[in-house]
Amino acid sequence: MPSALEGDRRVKLRDVLDASRIAAGGLKDFATGLVNPTLRLGVTGLSRSGKTVFITALVHALTKGARLPLFEAQASGRITRAYLEPQPDDDLPRFGYEEHLQRLTTEEPSWPESTRRISQLRLTLEYEPRGIIARNFKSGKLHIDIVDYPGEWLLDLPLMQMTFHEWSMATINASRIEPRASLAKTWHAHLKTLDATSPARELDAVKAAELFTSYLADCRKDGVSLSSLPPGRFLMPGDLAGSPLLTFAPLNVGLDQDFPRGSLGDLMERRYNSYVSKIVRPFFFGHFARLDRQIVLVDTLSALNAGVAAVQDLKNALAQVMKCFRLGSNSILSEVFGRRIDRILFAATKADLLHQSSHDHLENILRLIVDDASARAEFTGASVDVAALAAIRATREAKVKQRNEELPCIAGIPQKGEVIDGITFDGEREAAIFPGDLPENAGDALNGTMQGKLKFLRFRPPPLKDGTFPHIRLDRTLEFLLGDRFS
Amino acid sequence: MNDGYRKPTAFVLDDEEKVKPAKTKARKPAIEFEADAPVGELVTVPAIPQRKTTRFRWGFVLVSALFGLLSLWAGMAITTLVEDFFTRSPTLGWLALGVAALAGLAAVAIIVREAWSLMRLKRIEHIQSTSAHAINLDDKKASEETITSLGDIYAGRHDTAWGLAAFREHNADIIDPRDRVMLFDRLVMRPLDEEAHRIIARRARRVTLLTTVTPAAALDILFVAAQNLRMLRELAELYGGRPSTLSTLKLARMVISHLAVTGGLALSDNLIQHVVGRGLLGRLSARFGEGAVNGIMTSRIGLAASDVCRPIPQADSTKETLGSLLKELIKFGDATKAPDEKT
Repeated sequence: MPSALEGDRRVKLRDVLDASRIAAGGLKDFATGLVNPTLRLGVTGLSRSGKTVFITALVHALTKGARLPLFEAQASGRITRAYLEPQPDDDLPRFGYEEHLQRLTTEEPSWPESTRRISQLRLTLEYEPRGIIARNFKSGKLHIDIVDYPGEWLLDLPLMQMTFHEWSMATINASRIEPRASLAKTWHAHLKTLDATSPARELDAVKAAELFTSYLADCRKDGVSLSSLPPGRFLMPGDLAGSPLLTFAPLNVGLDQDFPRGSLGDLMERRYNSYVSKIVRPFFFGHFARLDRQIVLVDTLSALNAGVAAVQDLKNALAQVMKCFRLGSNSILSEVFGRRIDRILFAATKADLLHQSSHDHLENILRLIVDDASARAEFTGASVDVAALAAIRATREAKVKQRNEELPCIAGIPQKGEVIDGITFDGEREAAIFPGDLPENAGDALNGTMQGKLKFLRFRPPPLKDGTFPHIRLDRTLEFLLGDRFS
Repeated sequence: MNDGYRKPTAFVLDDEEKVKPAKTKARKPAIEFEADAPVGELVTVPAIPQRKTTRFRWGFVLVSALFGLLSLWAGMAITTLVEDFFTRSPTLGWLALGVAALAGLAAVAIIVREAWSLMRLKRIEHIQSTSAHAINLDDKKASEETITSLGDIYAGRHDTAWGLAAFREHNADIIDPRDRVMLFDRLVMRPLDEEAHRIIARRARRVTLLTTVTPAAALDILFVAAQNLRMLRELAELYGGRPSTLSTLKLARMVISHLAVTGGLALSDNLIQHVVGRGLLGRLSARFGEGAVNGIMTSRIGLAASDVCRPIPQADSTKETLGSLLKELIKFGDATKAPDEKT
């Protein structure tokens, strides 16, 4: 049965409905897939992990024929044409590829802004299939559907398996541990004044939601960089800002406490449930339940920058998110009634902020972070890989001889306002940066040994080279995710 | 430096000479994931049984001693011969000495060439194991070593020039060691594989034809052996070996033992042989059936030989089988006669 539902102990009517919903969606995808082979690529990542940049770079590299030596179909010239098509789902906005590209390629290039709403893009590749049968019976066309969405929303998925009581307890317990505790002081103070069984007053709910939201926002700031901050719409409301759907907050309740009708607890619980059923479920079934391939982008470097709490938080968040995917190798039955994700790649993004001699270490740290998640994926039979990736490479490599040692550095133009070692950058000067040594033993990244020993700067986007962006391992990523579909 | 970690720092690029262009640095990764590659996907060096050398080999001593004696005798005989000529007439003597010197030079040249080609064979064996190491363990040092040695071997050849040039374009890119070897394999080795196919198919067809038309049964053994040896030489040369008499013989031994170890045939191959050789064609004409069987055997030897000669070993899943050769074999039908054709 679908892995999304494994968390539940009893089979409920809702589970049966969910399963049939997945099967129905799968059947529909199968039917359309017979005529138009389609691959739904899930680009997943928490906020600021680089989803938008990855999608933009991927589309640009394929449409402009970038150098992708390890992506066999492109390197051997079998992909004859790649172009954007109107996406199949009419109710989703289009991914603003042109605008993002525009931002990256103007005179004063900048990285795309963080994603505020869900959007979709269909990239169509025409290719020469291999083999006599394939050449005659396959269309030689592959649609790749990519969906971009705010990373914050991803953390909503675990809520599907939690009741209001469970969620309240989990959230409040987490907020009592440093570094969250100090950020949650005002919210905690207000929380003490609330009584779940007293009659509901709208103003109380609004105030609680406000304080709770600002606590979440504080947790996300640079220097804290926590990841596990559901519900996601509180931080990135899309067009729901101010709606009653977002006007709730956790309450200090026991696991099996009942609320009288019309009480504050009753109101909060009702709103939580409609949040899950009206926002989270449609998002899951419309997008996540139908993926074929998955890339999980992880901003390991920012988490390392912020210290051990952030890394640990990232690890938990990823493990929770992974529980919601339908992983596993595909059988004939699953081809028809809802495909499973059979390949999943964990990518440590922004690998260009490190010298290539550190990439192995970075991959090892990521391996450790996604350990739970990838063990789970491997168990189900999906193939799993880990790569240090830079979809757009903003730096070049350099070596600096200093006294008796040689420092492996990266050179580029740091963004305005970035600070390292007492030097503040103005966004014009080029500099070679030595970001510190990554630990040889990946475990050190998680146990606090590395606290304050690393510093990664943000760099300005690079200029185009021969009409394409330089990259690190984008080709390997594509080969792993898409390669087998071109044989 | 405090506890081994260097402090993050920045160097603003005002004076350019402080910064040199990046060079790839071969640093051994501290963490090696030995079990990283699932066992099913490992590539293995072609299996050739190692001879046991634990015992002192008296036979070898005997042969060497006899050979030494023989060369001493030959040397003395030549010296006396030249001396004889000198006593008769100095002109004849000088002439004889010149001829003898020429013979000596030729002998030295032959020995050097043989040694050289044996060394090349060893070198390719060595590259096989380093490249397998690089692919299996994602090892940077092994990968660099493989690529430099193969670059040396294939430099200056017209059939690898394009592939090497295409490969060099990616020198500056950041590519994992394993992927770099695979990329080399795809760009440089694949075209050679295709050429190897053509060689094997050509020889197999010739063997079939010769067996079919040779009147005496004893003769075709000779033909088949000769054709196979020539195929071995061609394949060795294609993959960068320098075939000579000794190294070809050694290669032949390696190929045969490789065939013996691996069984050398997949189930499908067996089936082909059965259907084509003994079944259909055998009924049409006994000689023709034999010819087809010989041809198939030749192509099997050819596949084993390219396995042994190829510097980058292939994963089992991508290895060629007779089935994939069949297409090449049949192609002949369009051009001239089709002795080996599947009916």
